[in-house]
Amino acid sequence: MSNRLINYSLIFYIITFFVFLFGPLIIMSITAFNSADFPRISPWDCLSFRWFNEGMVDYVGQHQAGLLTDQKLKEGFYNSIFIGFFVVLLTVPIGLAAALVLTQINPKLRELFYSLSIMPVLFPGVIIGISTVVLWNRLSGLSDEGILSEVGRNGIFLTILAQTCFISTYCFLIFVARLQRFDRSQEEAALDLGATQTQVFFKILLPYLAPAIGSSAVIAFLASFENYNTTVFSILSDRTLTTVIASKVRLGITPAISALAFAIIVITVLAVIIYEFYKRRVDRLKKIEEQTLLASQSSDSRVQKIEIPKINFIKPLSFFIIIAIILSILFTQVLKNNLYGDACIANVEEEKKRKIEEQRKLEEEKFKLSEEDLQSGNKGGNSAFGDIFNSDLFEY
Amino acid sequence: MSASVELKNASVTFGNFYAAKNINVKINGGEFFSFLGPSGCGKTTLLRAISGFQDLSEGEVLIDGVDMSRIGPNKRPTSLIFQNLALFPLMSVADNISFSLEVRGVDKKKRRSRANELIELMALDGQGEKMVHQLSGGQKQRVAIARALAIEPKVLLLDEPLSALDLKLRQRMRTELRAIQKRVNITFIYITHDQSEALTMSDRIAVMNEGEIEQIGLCADVYNKPLTPFVATFVGENNSIDGKLTEVSSNEATISTENGSFKSCLNNSDGKYSIGDEVFLFIRPEALELAKNGNFDNVIDINIDTFEFEGNIKNYFAKLGSNKKIKFSIPNSVDTSDIHSGSNIQIGFNKLNSVILKKGQLAVDT
Ligand SMILES: Nc1ncnc2c1ncn2[C@@H]1O[C@H](COP(=O)(O)OP(=O)(O)OP(=O)(O)O)[C@@H](O)[C@H]1O
Ligand SMILES: [Mg+2]
Repeated sequence: MSNRLINYSLIFYIITFFVFLFGPLIIMSITAFNSADFPRISPWDCLSFRWFNEGMVDYVGQHQAGLLTDQKLKEGFYNSIFIGFFVVLLTVPIGLAAALVLTQINPKLRELFYSLSIMPVLFPGVIIGISTVVLWNRLSGLSDEGILSEVGRNGIFLTILAQTCFISTYCFLIFVARLQRFDRSQEEAALDLGATQTQVFFKILLPYLAPAIGSSAVIAFLASFENYNTTVFSILSDRTLTTVIASKVRLGITPAISALAFAIIVITVLAVIIYEFYKRRVDRLKKIEEQTLLASQSSDSRVQKIEIPKINFIKPLSFFIIIAIILSILFTQVLKNNLYGDACIANVEEEKKRKIEEQRKLEEEKFKLSEEDLQSGNKGGNSAFGDIFNSDLFEY
Repeated sequence: MSASVELKNASVTFGNFYAAKNINVKINGGEFFSFLGPSGCGKTTLLRAISGFQDLSEGEVLIDGVDMSRIGPNKRPTSLIFQNLALFPLMSVADNISFSLEVRGVDKKKRRSRANELIELMALDGQGEKMVHQLSGGQKQRVAIARALAIEPKVLLLDEPLSALDLKLRQRMRTELRAIQKRVNITFIYITHDQSEALTMSDRIAVMNEGEIEQIGLCADVYNKPLTPFVATFVGENNSIDGKLTEVSSNEATISTENGSFKSCLNNSDGKYSIGDEVFLFIRPEALELAKNGNFDNVIDINIDTFEFEGNIKNYFAKLGSNKKIKFSIPNSVDTSDIHSGSNIQIGFNKLNSVILKKGQLAVDT
């Protein structure tokens, strides 16, 4: 009885958790396919891919860019990737070096060094951004021309520096965690066998740290890519993806952002799936190799051929097929009800225009009415204070 | 090629704690030398000092007469086999073994052939391409030895390499190690807390306690003529009876105990003993025999307590007086049909098979 209760509540908890985690993302992804000019699910206008492509021209005549036609978004995206790349190039070596220093340093200084090293993550990012700008503004002011003044006013350069400042700390922490589990006797064994310190570093330590280098590079890139509060100051007149999105939110958000979010989600999910398959494949090949090696080289009677199970594609494949079927059913329904395509959009827009037109007419009539009022002698002010206290004045 | 190793007044301190204190020992080239001592007595520390990972706070290490103080561990002609082996988990067995050649820039073909040679020597056939975690404990052991031997060091330092193995494998590896040492003919310095390991393999051993060397000598000498109560009780089993000296000559003495007076030998006395000294009398279990079976210098009255059959020998635990215990071992071939739990009998020993030593620290029973 209570066991069942626990099971149910556990399932409930898991579902809540995932809804909490993925709900907003799913909703946002869906809004990308609504033709409406604001990211929303209801009221639903038409199924449309225009926010991935050309966007729309609104009834005022202004172009609302879609994902592929938005030049600012594109520029910001490329800048973000560029910055992220250089941030990775800087932060991983810096973090690694700092972590190595931590292991070598006198134990008394270690605590101090550690505190100093993690300080950048404790500072608010805003302060790092502003202080970087202040410093380089000063430096670039030292000369009117030349590299210093150029570079000091270059938002991308400043952003790389400012982000590196705190992202190297992330890398540092990852390396410290990995190094703490390093068996120092391996280093000593290598030295004992005649390796120089450099050889120990490249042949023993670096291979050991390879996974940490990989994960710190990924984390550094992501941290750089999504950073806003430091970047918004240090980027000056340039723009990154996050600053573009932020300014869009301020000026009026369109489903192009949803389209971007959807694209990012799809890429991430695909990457995860591909990685998973790749890993399984590698594991399997390794196992096969081991088995054949053992079988061919050892005369030990305990070695027997073990059948290695084939990767089971059916389960994941059937999952995708089910999703595809559901999607196609939905799509045919959409088509049937005329909820897709230019015609639908035209309809909806027509409808909207009509509504707006009506609204305008109504207002005009009201205005006319008051105009008539005025002309019929009521010149506003049938009392000592004009019409100020007449509640009708504010009524439309 | 082998080299001699000499420690002169060597001490290692951690803060104000002496992990090794005033060590003086000369190990000859080609010798199988063991440091034997209980856990924490400073054996590893000493080995690390020889291989260069631990700076001496005083004294010096000489290898083939050359002072090593300014020579780093990667330049010393020593190879260390670590207590935890420290194999490289990200490399194959063959790469592990040829690592020392790789860092010296030896080309791949030569490395391969040397690795194969050692794989064969260590009976690791077919394991060359495996990763370290795919090996059994004994195989790992042999990989570690092969790796250390790859560049033909002049001195091989082994830090309790067999402690992680099961008994059978340990016994086999003992003989194997000894055979390898004879084959490659380099100096082996072996560390262990297991006295039987030290005795079976070594030419000479040094017994250590609390950072200091208590005795250096041939295995038989250390066993038969211990110089301190610690050595007497740590190396092999020993019965100890305390008492006072009543008679002293140059190499013989009489000790009076609660259980009677006994005549025994003095090792290395040099006039250090005088009448009235508080001393221990040590008698090995196998030196005690049934008194009815011969003539003995000394005879003791005992009361049999328990009995243990070990195959080749029979162990008896007996009460001596009111509160002392004594153990003696009798070959299986000796007729003991009249000895039972509770019987009062006499056992005897000759003075040459026992030793008197000044009172001092005893090894704790383990
Ligand atoms: N780096 C260190 N700092 C402080 N004390 C140390 C250090 N290394 C060893 N010691 C101490 O020195 C003493 C000797 O240590 P060592 O490792 O040489 O013992 P050991 O004889 O090898 O013991 P075991 O048989 O357990 O390996 C121990 O008491 C240990 O606590
Ligand atoms: Mg040790």
